[in-house]
Amino acid sequence: MIQLSKNYSLPESAAEFIPIKIVSVGGAGLNALDRIVLDGLESADVVAINTDVQSLSSSVAAHKVQLGRSVTRGLGTGGDPELGYQAAVESADEIREALTGARIVFVCAGLGGGTGSGGAPYVAQLAREAGALVLAFATLPFAFEGKRRNAQAREALDRFNQIANAVICFENDQMGDMVAPQAGIHQAFAMADFTISQSVRSIVNLIQRPGLIRIGFDDLLAALRSRNGRCLFGFGESDSDNRAHDALTQALKNPLMDRGRMLADAARVLVQVAGGPGMTLSEVEILMQELGRHVNEETQILFGTAVDGRLGDRLSVTIISSLAADEDFISQVTQPAQASAPAMRSTWDQPKENPSKIDSEPEPAATPVETSTAEEVAPVEEPASSEVAPSPSPPSPMIGKPEPIAGMQHRKPMIIKEEKAAVEKSSHGKQEVLQFEPVTRGRFEKSEPTIVEGEDLDVPTYLRKNIKVK
Amino acid sequence: MASSNLMVGLEIGTSKICVVVGEGRSDGTIKILGVGQTPSRGIRKGEIVDFETVMKCVHEAVVDAEQKSDVMIRSVYVAVAGSHLQGFNNRGCVILPEDRDEIDEQDIEDVKINAREVSIPAQNAFLHSIIQHYHVDGQDGVLNPMGMLGQKLEADFHIIHGVRTRIQNTIRCIKELPLDVEDVVFGGLASAQVVLTQHQKDLGALAIDIGGGTTDYILYVDGAVKQSGCLAVGGDHITNDISMGLRIPMARAEKLKIEEGSCILGNCLPGEMILLKDDSGFAGKEIERETLNTIIHLRLRETFELLKRRLEEEPFINYLGAGIFITGGCSFLNGIEHLAGEVFEMPAHIAHAQTTSGVTSAVENPQFSTAIGLIKYAQAVQTDRPRRGIRGIFGKIFTGRR
Repeated sequence: MIQLSKNYSLPESAAEFIPIKIVSVGGAGLNALDRIVLDGLESADVVAINTDVQSLSSSVAAHKVQLGRSVTRGLGTGGDPELGYQAAVESADEIREALTGARIVFVCAGLGGGTGSGGAPYVAQLAREAGALVLAFATLPFAFEGKRRNAQAREALDRFNQIANAVICFENDQMGDMVAPQAGIHQAFAMADFTISQSVRSIVNLIQRPGLIRIGFDDLLAALRSRNGRCLFGFGESDSDNRAHDALTQALKNPLMDRGRMLADAARVLVQVAGGPGMTLSEVEILMQELGRHVNEETQILFGTAVDGRLGDRLSVTIISSLAADEDFISQVTQPAQASAPAMRSTWDQPKENPSKIDSEPEPAATPVETSTAEEVAPVEEPASSEVAPSPSPPSPMIGKPEPIAGMQHRKPMIIKEEKAAVEKSSHGKQEVLQFEPVTRGRFEKSEPTIVEGEDLDVPTYLRKNIKVK
Repeated sequence: MASSNLMVGLEIGTSKICVVVGEGRSDGTIKILGVGQTPSRGIRKGEIVDFETVMKCVHEAVVDAEQKSDVMIRSVYVAVAGSHLQGFNNRGCVILPEDRDEIDEQDIEDVKINAREVSIPAQNAFLHSIIQHYHVDGQDGVLNPMGMLGQKLEADFHIIHGVRTRIQNTIRCIKELPLDVEDVVFGGLASAQVVLTQHQKDLGALAIDIGGGTTDYILYVDGAVKQSGCLAVGGDHITNDISMGLRIPMARAEKLKIEEGSCILGNCLPGEMILLKDDSGFAGKEIERETLNTIIHLRLRETFELLKRRLEEEPFINYLGAGIFITGGCSFLNGIEHLAGEVFEMPAHIAHAQTTSGVTSAVENPQFSTAIGLIKYAQAVQTDRPRRGIRGIFGKIFTGRR
C-alpha cells in the first residue's frame, strides 16, 4: 500500500500531486463521468471505457477506450456480464496503457448491466496489478429494473469488494427517494450521477488538497472498511454567515446519510473540513461539536482539515463512513487481486449452460441506465428461481476458493445466489432498525425534531426500543 | 412599578404561561403577592411557533396576575427554554501590569470579558456567564479576589448561550404588549434559585426542571454552576407517547397521565384496568394500568439516562452531597423521584420553591418554580445593583447578568 505522508505540512509548501485517474466503465459510468468532467475537476485524469461505440463517442472524456473490438464489434453487451468480461479481457492491453502512471484509480460503474458488471471488476483488477490503489464507485440498479439485474449487480459488487481497496456503493433506489415523486425519471438518474460526481470530486480534493491535518488514503480506507460496501457519504459547502453549521447540515442531507441518523451506527467516520484562509478554529470546533451529536461515543473520528485558497469564503465538509464495519475484512482487502483473480474467472468463464436464456434477454441497448420495465424482466426471473429451488446446495465455504473444477462450475452460480440472498437479508434487517421515517411522531410531526445521540426523541420511547406495550 | 422591590417573573412555558408578582424583603425572603396563569398555545418544546397566539396568551396571563395581585405590571423578568440553549465552562485570564499587584474591580471585569472571548456559533448570543471560582497566581478556589495581591488572575466561568433570534422572539413577544423586559434568564437557572438552598449548592446538587416541552438541568458543585443545559423532551412527550400507545386522543392522554399516571412498574394488580368514560367523539375504553405505567416509565427512564450520560463527562456527578431535586410540572408524576434515584444512583427529591411567603398554594407548587425563581433572581440582581462591590451571596453568582 502506498503510504501517504500524514506529516504536518504548511498549506503553501505542499506541491506534491498524486496522479489520480478516474475510469468509468459502461454506460452508467460514462454518464457519471460526463457529469464529473462537466462539473470541473482539474486534479485528475479521466478515462472512458465502454463496449458501445455510440455512447463512447458522445462522451466528453478526453481519453476513451473501446472494449472488445471483435467480441462485441462496437455494440453493447446486451446486459450480459460474461460478454462484458470477455470484451474487457480482449482489450486488456489498451486498458493497461490507459491506466499507466496512476497511483490511485477510481473505477466508476453502474452495476447490473453487461459492461459495468463484467468489465469494471476486471479493469479494477488490472489497475491493482499495475500497482495502483483502487477505489470503486458502484451504483446498484433501481428495484424496478428487475431481480436478474439486481442479482448481477450484487455479484459484481462482491467481486469489487474482493478486488478494490474500497468500494463506495450507491443504491439508486435510495437516491431516487431524493427526487420528488412527480419528477421525471431522468431526474432520478441525474441525481444518481450528481451524487457520484460530487463524491468523486470531494474524495479527489480530499486526497489532493494540502492539509493542515492531512487525510491520507489510509484514513480513507479505514473509514470505508466494510463487507457489504454500504457507505455513508456526505458533502456540504456554504459561504453564509453561519457556514460551519450550514455546510454540515447540507452534508448530512445527502441521500446516503439519512440526515445523520445513519452515522450513529458507524464505527469510523472520516471528516474533512476545508476552507479558505479565513477559516477559523472556532468554526471547525463548532462543526465537530455538532457532528459529535450524530455519532456514537465509541465512533472513531478520523479528522482532517485543509486550507485551500481556491475555496475563498466557502467552507466545505466531507463526511465518509461505512455501515457495519468489519474488522476481518481488512486483511482481505489489503491482499491484492492475485488470489481473487482465478476465482473470478471461474465464475464468469462458466460455460453458458443455458445460452438461449441469456440471448433472449430483451435488453436492446448497452447502457445500464436504461429503464427496463417490470414485464421485461419477469420471464427472465422465473427460470432462474426455479433453477435454484431443486438443488439445495451446501452453503458457502467454496465461494472465495480459486478452484475452477469442472464439476463445481455447474453449481457455483447457485451457491453465490444463496449467499447474495443472505447478504440482502442481513442488510434489510439492519435497515429495519434504522428506519425512522415510517414511525409517526404524533403531535411533534411538524416540529423541529429533537435528535440526541442519533435518536429522534419525538418518537415514543417504547417504539424505538421495540417494547410491546399491548 | 412604584416600589423597586416589586418584581414580576414571567415564564412562557410549553403548557402554561405563568406570571408571578413578588415583593423582595430586606432579609432576603420574598413574598408572593399574586400568580396569574393561562394555558399556553403556540409553544412547542419551549419555543414560540405561533407569535400572535403566544402574545395573546401572555397578555391574558399578565392581566390575570394584575387582578390577583392588584399591581400594575410594567416590566418583567422572563425565562427562556429550548434545546438551543447550551452551557459550557471556560477560563479567562488577565496578567496585572508590572507596577501593580493589587487586584481591583477593573481586573475582575477584564477577566470576565476575557472568558467570554470564546467561540460560540455566529448566530448565538451569550445569556449568562456565571463565575465559578477565581484563581490568583495559581491559588485555587478564591471566591472574591478583590483587593488580593497577585500578578495573574484567572477565572472559571460557566457560560450559557443560545440562538440569538429565538431569544429575541421571546423578548419581542413581550415588548409588543407592551411590557419592559428587565432581563432574560435561563429557566433552569431560575428554578434552581428557589429549589436549591445555598447549602445544597455547596454540597453539590442537580436540579432538574421537567416542564411540558423541555427538561432543564443545572448542576451545582461547590456552590458554583458546573453544567447546565436543556433537553427538548418533557411532559408533552409523555402525553404523546400515551396517546399513540393507547390510541386515545391527546386531551384524554393528558388527563390520564395527570390522574392515573405513575412511573413505577410492577406496582399494580395483574390485569388492573382503568376505565375511560365515553365522551362526545370518544367511545370510551378500558386500558391496562401496567401498560400506561410502562409507557411513562420508559420515556422518563430514557430522559434521565440521557441526562446522566450528558453529565457523566463531569467527574463529580457521583459526589453530589445533596442529591437530585426534581421540579416542574412533571414532578407530579407518581414515583418520579424513585426512578430518578434509581437511574442516577443517588437520593432524589421532589422540590418546590422555598424561602418564600405569601400565596402558599403557589409556593408549594413545583409548576411555579421557574417563575418564582425569576423573582429570587431579580431580587439578587437588584440588591446587587445599588451597592456595587458589596456582593451578596447571590450577587456573587450572578455577576454574569447580560
